[in-house]
Amino acid sequence: MFKNYIKIAWRSLKKQPFFTFLNTLGLAIGMAGGLLISLYIYDELSFDKMFPDADRIYRINADIRFGGSDMKSAEVSAPMAQAIQNDFSQIETTTRIRNRGSLLLRKSGAESNTRESNVAFVDSTFLKMFGIDLLVGDAKSALTEPNTLVLTKTAAEKHFGLQEALGQKMLLNNSETYTVTGVIDDLPANSLLRDHSVFMAMAGFEDAQQMLWTSHNYFTFIKLIPGADIADFQEPLQSMLDTYIFPYVQGFFPGITKEGFIASGNYLNYSTIPLTDIHLYSSRDSELSANSSIQNVYILFFIGLFLIVLASVNFMNLSTAHSLKRAKEVGIRKTLGSNKSELIRQFLTESGLIAFISLLLSIIITMVALPFFNELSGKSVSIPFAHPIFWIILLMATLLLGIFAGSYPAFFMSRFVAAKVLQGSGQNSIGGGRIRNSLVVFQFAISVFLIVATLVVFQQLQYIQGKDLGYAKDQILIVEDVSVVGEQLQSFKKEVQKLAQVSNATLSGYLPIPSFRNNNSFFKERATEQENALQMQEWRVDHDYLSTLDIALVAGRDFDRKFATDSTAMILNESAVDLMGVTPDEALGMRISGDLGEESPIFYTVIGVVKNFHFESLRENIGPLNLSLGGFPGAMAVKIKAGDFTDTLRQIESIWNQMAPGQLFNYRFMEDAFNATYEAEQKLGHIFVVFTILSILIACLGLFGLAAFNAQKRTKEIGIRKVLGASVGQITFRLTTDFLKMVAVAILISLPLGWYAMNKWLEDFTYRIDIPWWILALAAFLSVAIAVVTVSFQSIKAAIVNPVKSLRTE
Amino acid sequence: MIQIQNLKKSFRTEEVETLALNKVNLSVEEGEFAAIMGPSGCGKSTLLNIIGMLDNPTEGSYKFAGHEVGGLKERQRTELRKGNLGFVFQSFNLIDELTVFENVELPLIYLKENKSSRKEKVMKVLERMKIAHRAKHFPHQLSGGQQQRVAIARAVVTNPKLILADEPTGNLDSKNGLEVMNLLTELNQEGTTIVMVTHSDHDSHFAHRIINLFDGQIVTESKNRAIGAII
Repeated sequence: MFKNYIKIAWRSLKKQPFFTFLNTLGLAIGMAGGLLISLYIYDELSFDKMFPDADRIYRINADIRFGGSDMKSAEVSAPMAQAIQNDFSQIETTTRIRNRGSLLLRKSGAESNTRESNVAFVDSTFLKMFGIDLLVGDAKSALTEPNTLVLTKTAAEKHFGLQEALGQKMLLNNSETYTVTGVIDDLPANSLLRDHSVFMAMAGFEDAQQMLWTSHNYFTFIKLIPGADIADFQEPLQSMLDTYIFPYVQGFFPGITKEGFIASGNYLNYSTIPLTDIHLYSSRDSELSANSSIQNVYILFFIGLFLIVLASVNFMNLSTAHSLKRAKEVGIRKTLGSNKSELIRQFLTESGLIAFISLLLSIIITMVALPFFNELSGKSVSIPFAHPIFWIILLMATLLLGIFAGSYPAFFMSRFVAAKVLQGSGQNSIGGGRIRNSLVVFQFAISVFLIVATLVVFQQLQYIQGKDLGYAKDQILIVEDVSVVGEQLQSFKKEVQKLAQVSNATLSGYLPIPSFRNNNSFFKERATEQENALQMQEWRVDHDYLSTLDIALVAGRDFDRKFATDSTAMILNESAVDLMGVTPDEALGMRISGDLGEESPIFYTVIGVVKNFHFESLRENIGPLNLSLGGFPGAMAVKIKAGDFTDTLRQIESIWNQMAPGQLFNYRFMEDAFNATYEAEQKLGHIFVVFTILSILIACLGLFGLAAFNAQKRTKEIGIRKVLGASVGQITFRLTTDFLKMVAVAILISLPLGWYAMNKWLEDFTYRIDIPWWILALAAFLSVAIAVVTVSFQSIKAAIVNPVKSLRTE
Repeated sequence: MIQIQNLKKSFRTEEVETLALNKVNLSVEEGEFAAIMGPSGCGKSTLLNIIGMLDNPTEGSYKFAGHEVGGLKERQRTELRKGNLGFVFQSFNLIDELTVFENVELPLIYLKENKSSRKEKVMKVLERMKIAHRAKHFPHQLSGGQQQRVAIARAVVTNPKLILADEPTGNLDSKNGLEVMNLLTELNQEGTTIVMVTHSDHDSHFAHRIINLFDGQIVTESKNRAIGAII
């Protein structure tokens, strides 16, 4: 019997190539979209699960409110890890990671440096914590000694061969010498350590040995002993405030108590997050690597589901529309003794067959689309062809899809009454029209929703990119690693400033693009109690900072070389002044210090207040900030006049080569750095575009097929109308408007939904657009236009048929 | 074999109720060949559908081989129909996607007969209908007469007690029509009961009895004595 089903299914598919093509293609596109999204989601959900004891590893977080500002820190203080290890029996091991950002690296004796962009100090327990094996070297001793480091395979191969790496000396930033004591495999792309390539022993890092309980700079991981419950650890963790933190703080805030601290509205709460949750559930002030969010996973899951449902709906629509042609067969089969359930089984076999053909096609589409998809999504997922589980899931899903998509047509067709369909009566009114129309409305509603979503995401991105940030990000070149120029740094700056195309330059590592920066507590003179703390960022700049970046002053003056006292001058931003509770003019002349607890703190005098400028992502408010002269600049920002960039760049590079021969000239544009901040939104935007196009394509295929069916069904009516004098235009209009009514209903349903959902999405942004009316209008217009183009081809085709022919056919 | 008493069938649309059959009383004996005649719309096909258990009567009783069929559910009717009834239609109603062999095999598949027995029976009946050489062809590759021979083969392959023929020669020329009528007569002579709806006086003369329907009622019944005279 089953063989008979397959046989007739195959033959009837072959007999209607147009219908089969539309149905298979629609389903295949939907399945390919679903497959891509599933691969993406699978990758997102797999983060950090590859580490052997991942289920026992947690990171410690700290939520801090102090000095008027809130911090959600992913890092805790340096001494915390050791204290936890000593005090709590349920902890098997702890390890710390301290980011050191990027540095220059070269093999001892080599001429030029290589830049490693993600370098970290790690404790000797690091390898044990994550269960990372060494390819070369001894895991027990690899990171125990000061000035030793472990490289990833790729990093090691850059400088030496894998086998030769062990024991080699390396020069960091042209100054520190380290010995390679091990090489590990490259870290998986779906782990939080994926960007790191160099791990230096914490043993030699002085800051890590200090008992600074209030500086939160160390990612601290703990591993529970098997069987321990993390819930039992929360209270002991918080008790560290009494044991360590307050005794320490009392050293420079005499008399401070935990109660007083809490009473003044402050808090310091420790919590833990499972290692495997970090990627999707953690978005703290500084993360070890860029995280995603579960919200994106949900959004994509629903888009994937939409696509599959759209494709299934297409299938249902086309199949029931074409059931006219199958009505006679159903009648005969029933007459010959087939019952309903046999017919349902037969039609489900058919839909299953289409689903499997579509599966093959969708795998081909996925293979072709995967490189583009990876580029769009910033991932490197692949189809796991070698995994039997993948195939089992895929085949099961296809089978389910076949049954789901085929269920309505099967049920619908098996209900045909044999006596009626064999007589030919009712062949033009097979029914189900209302359901088919509802399905078209549903499809278009999803498409319109996705169009709205895409337009809003892009509009918001455009708004961010065009927003007045309070500084000029355009035409700014950032030259990195300028510290390697050494004593000639000021001359380098002067030489660059002399170039005709350069309007100004400033030396500072603190630039208004998101990067690792920490808050510090400041105090006004004579107000040094803990409740008067002012939590703000502290940036070290030079005299040309404000003028190079076009940052406007609202009170006071800029740093000036004429005033020797400016070495202890400070410029605040408006948020800092607000935090102090004074006006910009009142702030001028106030004296502020950040070194409380030291014997003779240095007080800075406020000489100016700048207009707020955005230095973090536009998702966040502008925080308090102070600028003072000095520091060891890590970068130079160069403002270039409009014109030929490449020539200016070459000139700057040539000055660099004179002053820092053999050193890597590393640069980027501030605009690119700024845009990188919104990479997640841009990726989301691109993904939206792709899947919106896919969903529209599927909806159009369905509409196209349905229009063809409709025209065919109305052949006689069209013929009679033409005989009676209707023009081609009138008939086309008539056939098209029927479909437009459905699209109109879809628009009415989905515009409010789209508006609501996208407003929710925009709530994440502190600086956001209000959804303009024209986005809704454009979405409506686009969907109508797409529907008209799709339908009118079939309508015109039907309208130009000679009535003699169409009436004879009837 | 067939006892019908006070049978009524009405069709209801939103606004009107049409009475297709009104108080029909009819019995057909085993081995009989009956022809139902009448103008278009008189209820012939409706009556045939009810006799064929494709449709239920609105009122009245219909007994097939002693079993009351009138109120049966679709599933029960299907079960009773299988193997007992064979159908021949004016428009042949072969499944386009199946070959001649497969079309004829279909009722046996629904009877869950095994493959070798199916093959044997199908080939036997195709040979009898002189169409075995076309077993692998599809319906559209055959002439009308050949298609109707396949349809008859399909109707008789299960060796049914009753064959219902709805205008079996309506789409055929006179030569092919005659061939079909001869086949039906042959089957009848072998013991199969036949009920045939027809417009054709010529065809009706092959039957033992002619039943005339008009506006849903049987108006006359006449015995036919001229069998064989026109062959």
